[in-house]
Amino acid sequence: MSEAEKSGQVLVDLAGVRKEYGQAVALDGVTLQIRAGEAAAVMGPSGCGKSTLLNMIAGLDRPTAGTVTVAGHDLGRLGESALALFRRRHIGMIFQFFNLIDDLPALDNVALAAQLTGTPARTARARALDLLGELGVAGRKDAYPATLSGGQRQRVGVARALMNRPALLLADEPTGALDSRSGEQVMDLLIDLNQIGQTLLIVTHDLELATRCAGRLIEFADGQVVGQGAAGAGR
Amino acid sequence: MSAVWRTARAAVARRRVQTLLIGLVVLCCTATAVLALGLLDAATTPFDRAFEHQRGAHVVASFDAAKANPAALARTAARPGVQAAAGPFGQVVADFPRTTDIPEAEGPLTIAGRAGPGGPVDRVSVLYGRWARAPGEIVLNLPAADGPRRPQALGARLTAPGLPPLTVVGLASSMSRSADAWVTPAQMAALRPRAVQMLYRFEEAATGPELRAAMAALSDGLPAGALASAATHLALRQAFADLAAAYLPLLTVFGVLALLVAVLIVAGVVSGAVVSGLRHIGVLKALGFTPGQVVAVYLTMVSVPAAIGAALGAAAGAALAGPVLRAAFQGVDAGVAEIGFGGWVPGVCLAGMPLLVAAAALVPALRARRLSAAAAISAGSAPRPGRGLRVQRALGGARLPRPVSLGLGLPFARPGRTAMTMAAIVVGLTSVTLTTGLGVTMAAFAAADRPPAGQVGVRVGEAAFGENAPRLDDRRIEALLRSLPGVRQVTAKVFRQVRLAGQARRGDINFQRGDTSPLAAQVVQGRWFDGPGQIVAPPAFLSQRGLAVGDRITLLLNGRRAEARIVGRLMSGDARFAWASWDTLTALDPRASADTYEVRLAAGVDPRRYADAVRAADPGLHPSFSLETGTTAATVVGVAGVFTALLIAVAALGVFNTVLLTTRERRRELGVLKSIGMTPRQVTVMTVTSVAAQGAAGALIAIPAGMLAHRLIVDNVGIVEFPDAMKDVFQPSHLVALALAGVVIAVLGALAPACSAARLTVAAVLHAE
Repeated sequence: MSEAEKSGQVLVDLAGVRKEYGQAVALDGVTLQIRAGEAAAVMGPSGCGKSTLLNMIAGLDRPTAGTVTVAGHDLGRLGESALALFRRRHIGMIFQFFNLIDDLPALDNVALAAQLTGTPARTARARALDLLGELGVAGRKDAYPATLSGGQRQRVGVARALMNRPALLLADEPTGALDSRSGEQVMDLLIDLNQIGQTLLIVTHDLELATRCAGRLIEFADGQVVGQGAAGAGR
Repeated sequence: MSAVWRTARAAVARRRVQTLLIGLVVLCCTATAVLALGLLDAATTPFDRAFEHQRGAHVVASFDAAKANPAALARTAARPGVQAAAGPFGQVVADFPRTTDIPEAEGPLTIAGRAGPGGPVDRVSVLYGRWARAPGEIVLNLPAADGPRRPQALGARLTAPGLPPLTVVGLASSMSRSADAWVTPAQMAALRPRAVQMLYRFEEAATGPELRAAMAALSDGLPAGALASAATHLALRQAFADLAAAYLPLLTVFGVLALLVAVLIVAGVVSGAVVSGLRHIGVLKALGFTPGQVVAVYLTMVSVPAAIGAALGAAAGAALAGPVLRAAFQGVDAGVAEIGFGGWVPGVCLAGMPLLVAAAALVPALRARRLSAAAAISAGSAPRPGRGLRVQRALGGARLPRPVSLGLGLPFARPGRTAMTMAAIVVGLTSVTLTTGLGVTMAAFAAADRPPAGQVGVRVGEAAFGENAPRLDDRRIEALLRSLPGVRQVTAKVFRQVRLAGQARRGDINFQRGDTSPLAAQVVQGRWFDGPGQIVAPPAFLSQRGLAVGDRITLLLNGRRAEARIVGRLMSGDARFAWASWDTLTALDPRASADTYEVRLAAGVDPRRYADAVRAADPGLHPSFSLETGTTAATVVGVAGVFTALLIAVAALGVFNTVLLTTRERRRELGVLKSIGMTPRQVTVMTVTSVAAQGAAGALIAIPAGMLAHRLIVDNVGIVEFPDAMKDVFQPSHLVALALAGVVIAVLGALAPACSAARLTVAAVLHAE
């Protein structure tokens, strides 16, 4: 168990969060806490507000009402630049469609996250290569995203998310665009990460992914948390 | 068609920025085209219109009254080839000293005796007052009818030696410039004219040879030597367009350049719009739009803003052309010609520019027509293989802030888009380099025609004009002028009409002594004279006499002869005049003395004060100076500046468009970069760096290209051979400024899209993708 998990401190704290897009309400008074070292999965039907929740926690979007506090930062009080710095230091994001930069090879895609913080290129590339090695794709370090398989792309995406040693790893349907074998590999990877203490929040439709990777299931419907419970699997 | 129209209208409304851009580019281009074509048209059309309205004389002929009797002259009207004739009118030349504030009533005036302003040829327009009805009345010719209104000149009494007092009863304008003033035939008879004037219109009068042939045929039956002089309408037309003509070839280059830039930029903008809309095209096809309807949607989408832009541009161009034309024709003896251009100019531009835009849109639209729906959709949204691997790797490892290295790598990742941006920058900057160079050359040329600031001309008074003669002799006058405070240089001059052995035409030689005239800087071949027997002449003087630099000629004056060699050719000048040293004159006329002194004052010296000092020292000296600082130069620079500003605007809009499209294409990528911690400032830095790099690279191509184009044009276009000093206009500081201009154009174009990219909401972008 990691030091963070031992301490059991609250890493993510949402209090009465509401998000409106014009007339539509995406989040309706969500109150939720995630502790350091925890692996939680948010489940629910399409359009229920799962991705909006993830965006709020990542500081990619702002709530209409309520507060979002992550790693002690009240995100509603931060400006655009401060939010960018917050994401660099505390958040790693894994996307369903990988969102790699087409024009950069795998190694530079991963190193980029560190280089934006001012880490020298040599140091950033060395760490990126280590991560790619740990995730089993070091051999494709010079390949462009378009020439990688889906599983390989997602591993590169995970490596990029881990590059700055984030306190919180957010995964939006991480296996949604993968075949079953690649999906399995990514699930194992996430479990491994959580086992070494990485706090994890997964948004998914996939019950198997949720139960295998997460210790807690959060059920979402119509922008509200409608149920929570221990998942237990994978722990 | 309703589905096509609705879809196109929706696309126009959805792509507001792009629609606005197309409209703005077309607006600027149309305004430029109207201005360019307007200047070309205005250079000749107004004269032709007014000349034809007055049934102007193709030839104003002056006959020796002693050799040709009026009846014989009247019969010339019936000669073959003569369309119409007027006359004979008695003609005298009288010197009028300055007694009034009417500039047209000063100096030697050609006066004709005419019963009225009408007739078959040269229907003079009476602008103020009336035609002369009785002896003692005179009507003056106003060379520029649109000048200040001067009805107060009516009633003024003019006096000249040997003439009775004449009262001004009318101010008129003759496009044929048949006379400087008119009196009644009875008054003319009392003046005992020794010349008779005939005004002719010929069937064939378009060229010099045609007119010479017509005049030769006409004077066949007249006694030898009866024809004293003949002034053609071609010379008048040339004089009208002279100011513009000197610059017209260069202005034409501006106009053609503007049109070229317009085509390139519009094609780029429209192509970009179509290429960026590929996904949209795919969706339309999937919905059941036929290929023809897809083409129609895209043509409509770009034609709507193009039509609006062209309409506004034509109006803006016409509005801008007014003051530009007024300035360009300032000082031209326009007579009653109204300076302006024909309605066809904005009409052609109004119709032509939207057609041009539609043609530019047609090529990419036809490409979209051929694409299958699936291919179009995937072309607009599928991930692309990476490009520029080596460059990207090198930049990824470079010791540069990552946003900067990412920005530098961007052009290599999108070669097609980079080519488009670079084309916009190169075309724009080449135009800027060329136009600024041409502007400087033309301004220098215009400035050379005017006395420089701080120059005072001192004329010796002549008793024949009722003026005091100077107390001092020639050498003492020069010494006096040099001794007064503030003098830098003095050149003593006199014009003498000399014969050139073996030549039919005489020449007016300006003999000079003292300090070298500033004219020496205008020598384009050979050198300025530096001793006796050396002559410098303009190209027209040499070509009309079959002479060239290095030729030897013999000057004849007062029964004396002097050998001389042509040592230099000037940039331009009148065919009558040439320049030589005083020593050459001494050989022809040992007692010659200067009648004019050109005094150049030190910087900061007030010419008024110097002129007062000259008058006080010797009332027989008449100093004059101009406080104007070259309106022609200012006009030329102004016109060049307008074109340059429009071209810069078009180029910046072209760059803006490509950057906007690139930014749109990269929305997802920018969202990803922001999601992993790129700050808004870093996004701006990255975007601006990518374009600034292209701006700098574009400058490396465009500046030499612009300089080369400038040199080619000033060497080969136009009627003037420019001296090197007017051609070597690109100084190092100028080049640095131009290179910076390339970067600035690019950065200005990129700034707004970069800032908009920095403000992208990551969640919205990634969600949309």
